[in-house]
Amino acid sequence: MRELWQYRELTWNLTVVDLKNRYQNTALGFLWSLLSPLMTAMVLFLVFRYLFEQEPNFAAYLLVGLMSWRFFAAGTTSAVYAVVSKPSLVTKVYVPRQILVLSNTVANLISSIIEFIIIIPILFFISGGLPLTILLFPLIFLIYFWFVYGIALFLASLYVNFRDLNQIWEVVSSILFFLSPIFYPMSAIKGAMPIYLLNPITEFIIVYRNLMIYGNLPSLYSLAIICVAAAAAFMVGTIVFNRLQRRFAEEI
Amino acid sequence: MPVVAVNNIYKRFRIPHYKKTTLFQNAIGLIKRQQTYEEFWALKDVTFEVKQGETFGIIGRNGSGKSTLLKLLARVLYPDGGSVNIRGKTASFLELGIGFQPELTAAENVYIYSSVLGCGRRQTERVYDSIFDFAELKRFEDMKLKNFSSGMYTRLAFSTAIHTDPDTLLIDEVLAVGDESFQKKCADTIYDLRKKGRTIIYVSHDLVSVGNLCQRALLLDGGRTLAIDSANKVIEAYHRSLQPHD
Repeated sequence: MRELWQYRELTWNLTVVDLKNRYQNTALGFLWSLLSPLMTAMVLFLVFRYLFEQEPNFAAYLLVGLMSWRFFAAGTTSAVYAVVSKPSLVTKVYVPRQILVLSNTVANLISSIIEFIIIIPILFFISGGLPLTILLFPLIFLIYFWFVYGIALFLASLYVNFRDLNQIWEVVSSILFFLSPIFYPMSAIKGAMPIYLLNPITEFIIVYRNLMIYGNLPSLYSLAIICVAAAAAFMVGTIVFNRLQRRFAEEI
Repeated sequence: MPVVAVNNIYKRFRIPHYKKTTLFQNAIGLIKRQQTYEEFWALKDVTFEVKQGETFGIIGRNGSGKSTLLKLLARVLYPDGGSVNIRGKTASFLELGIGFQPELTAAENVYIYSSVLGCGRRQTERVYDSIFDFAELKRFEDMKLKNFSSGMYTRLAFSTAIHTDPDTLLIDEVLAVGDESFQKKCADTIYDLRKKGRTIIYVSHDLVSVGNLCQRALLLDGGRTLAIDSANKVIEAYHRSLQPHD
C-alpha cells in the first residue's frame, strides 16, 4: 500500500495517458463516446416503451441503468488488456504492477463520472426535478469502484496466461447485461427473484436509481450486498493478481 | 553492511513443448493429464554481496544467466529459491525510455519516465532544467517525441534516468548508444556517480569497459558462479574458460 502511494504519480500519469489516447485523437472524442450509449438508450426506449409502460419514468430508469452498467462493462473489458498492453513496464523495470490495472480503472471511473454529470441535466429535464439523495451518489460510486477494480485485477492477471479470456469475458458480460435490470423493469422478473437479486450489479443499479430518480435511501440489504460484493471482488482480485504477477515477466 | 545481498538464488524457467496460451487448451491439457514442459535452471545457487560505493561487473557468455540475474536484481523476475535484498532506491537501466509516449512532448515524457522510475512531480521539477541541459535538448522541450531522432531519444531517456538520483544503478550495456561525445559524457557520469558513493552493477560483454569501471566482478557459466574476485582476475578467468578444454 505504501508502495502504491510512492508511485501515485505514475498511476496518475498512466491514467491521463489512457484518457488522452481515448479522446484526444478525435476532436469530438468524448462526445463520440457518449453518443453511443445515448443512442442505445434511445433505441431501447423506443422499442420497449409500450411493453414496459407500467414503469413510471421509463426514460430516466433506462438512462441511469445503462450508465451504471457502462462503468462495469467498460471497466472490466478494457482491464483485460491492462497488463499485456504495457509489456515494457512489466519486463524492463520494477513498478508495482497493480498500478497498470488501477490506472485503467481510474480512467474508466473518470469517464463514467463525466457521463453521469452530463446525463444529470437530462434527468432533471425528463423527471422534472432531482431528489436530494443524488448527493450520496459519490459514496456509491466509491463502493462500485472497488467492485470493478477487483474484477479488473482478476481479469488482467488471468489474461496474461489465458489469451482467450477476452472472448470468454465478452460472452459473460453480455449475459450479465441481460441478467441485470437495465432495460426491463424489476417487476418483469417473477419466479426467480431471490436468486436474481444475488447479482451484485443488480443491487448497484437499484441503488443508483433510488438515489438519482426516486429519492430513496438504499435499503440496508442493498448496502450489505454491494459492500460485501465490493470487498469480496477486491480481495479475490488482489490475491489472484499477487499470485500470478510473480511470473508476468516470463509469460508476457 | 552490503547494499546488495544476493543469497543462494535459484531461478527456474519452464519451457513448454507446446505453449498453451488459452483456457481452452489448458482445459484439454487437464483432461489429457500431460505435463508438457521442460525445466531449465537459469541460475543455480548464486551468492554475492556488493558494498556501498562499489562498481560490480557481471560477465559470462550468452545464455550464462547474466540478464536473468540482472532482472532478478531489478525485481522484474522473482527467484524460485534464495533471496535478493537491495537497500535504498534502485534504478534499472535494462531499457531506456520505458513508458515514453511518441504523441506527447519531450517535457511531458520526462515527467512520465521519472514517474516510471518512482519519482514524484516535485522532485522532477527540481532537476527539470538540468535534465534538458545534460541531454542538450533545451530547444526541443516542446517538440513531440515522435519527431525526435533516435540519438535525441536516447539522450533524453538517459538524462532523465540519471537524474532520479538512485542509490544503486543496474546497467545492461545501454551505454553503447549515442555518438562518441555522448558516450564519453555517460562514462564521465558513471565515474561521477561512483565518486559520490553510488553502487553500480554493470553487465556487459565489453571486457575492456568492465576492466576499467569495475572493482570486482562475477563470472557466470551455465547459471553457476565460476569466479568472483577483483575485476581483472575474473576477466582472466573468463578468457581461460573460453579456451578449448584439452
